[in-house]
Amino acid sequence: MSTAITVPEDLWEGDNEGVITAWLVDDGSQVNQGDLVAEVMVEKAQYEIEAPSAGRLTIAKQEDEVVEKGTTIASLDG
Amino acid sequence: MTATTTATSSRKLTIARAMAEATAQEMRQDPSVFVMGEDVGPMGGVFGNTRGLHEEFGGERVRDTPISETAFIGAAVGAASDGMRPIVELMFVDFFGVCMDAIYNMMAKNTYFSGGKVNVPMVLMTSTGGGYSDGGQHSQCLYGTFAHLPGMKVVVPSNAYDAKGLMTAAIRDDNPVVFMYHKSLQGMGWLGTEKGATVATPEESYTVEIGKAAVVKEGRDLTLVSLGAGVHHCLRAAKALGEEGFDVEVVDLRSLVPLDRETVRASVAKTGRLIVVDEDYHSYGVSGEIIASVAEHDHACLKAAPRRVAYPDIPIPFTPTMEQWALPNADKIVDAFHQMMSQ
Repeated sequence: MSTAITVPEDLWEGDNEGVITAWLVDDGSQVNQGDLVAEVMVEKAQYEIEAPSAGRLTIAKQEDEVVEKGTTIASLDG
Repeated sequence: MTATTTATSSRKLTIARAMAEATAQEMRQDPSVFVMGEDVGPMGGVFGNTRGLHEEFGGERVRDTPISETAFIGAAVGAASDGMRPIVELMFVDFFGVCMDAIYNMMAKNTYFSGGKVNVPMVLMTSTGGGYSDGGQHSQCLYGTFAHLPGMKVVVPSNAYDAKGLMTAAIRDDNPVVFMYHKSLQGMGWLGTEKGATVATPEESYTVEIGKAAVVKEGRDLTLVSLGAGVHHCLRAAKALGEEGFDVEVVDLRSLVPLDRETVRASVAKTGRLIVVDEDYHSYGVSGEIIASVAEHDHACLKAAPRRVAYPDIPIPFTPTMEQWALPNADKIVDAFHQMMSQ
């Protein structure tokens, strides 16, 4: 089963775009539910993105790419 | 040191998170450790290195202070002298002017002038460096200023693995330690984030010995010595020179006090060529000290006059193009090597 990792709608206030500043796990690695996987910067604030379930990570949006709320940034298979 | 893998993945941390994790682990096992500074509480530090601490340990042990470095760094020296282990943050090293008496006359000298009766086991952590147009009062490194003054250890990590291990070692050290982190390595996007600083970092507690440099890339033709953000410029320059057929060694100092002169000397004895890369000011600083450490020991090993790629002796400009012109980078290191080889 594949689960998308999306930017949560309530991660920050307003509709500003963000930028992925870091992937904290490598593409293809196994993660647990709740693991911190990425950081997104909006203006000068950093926001955390956690894995919604366990699985093998496939990154869809790379570091420095622009994202919005709801953007799929990776998927988890497992 | 071998990095043990976690159960599921090679977890990476930014330096900011590595510092916070090391601090939390030490606070859990030692009730005398506490944190003080501006915005270190619920905000988690303007550079992110105290995130999560206030939530876990509360306002007694993670204390937001008024904007008076004179008061709270002085208070930290007193607390440390009386048995506590404070970690205190000077938000920008550039602000040291108002609190330097507490740092270099009290923190650094109390042990000596008490005949060893008073220890001052505190960590003074402070942000350094520029590159993101914050002006010359918010962009300096000043490593050399602190390393010059006896009585305190000084560490400057270049990546999250070293940052966590050095932070743990600094908190456990019975001497005052100045922990100088470079803003571009913190993983905060708006500060010009250097990707190479975010590396695999074990979850369990460990130390990196203060006073030990690391050879981060081995080579035979040239030794590049640097610290903090400069290490990443050196690695890029080493890659570029590698494509020209030169085999470049890169030494990451990691600590300035104590300074691991032996590792530098051993590297230059092998390569015969030395370039020091330092974002601190050119004159009277780290770069001159490294070159002297080699030359006064054995000048015969040198095949060429050593060079330095350092910050020019000018106030750091605010204007982005002017600041970038003045900062060290990989191209300048490559040029310095070409000049060395053409003489």
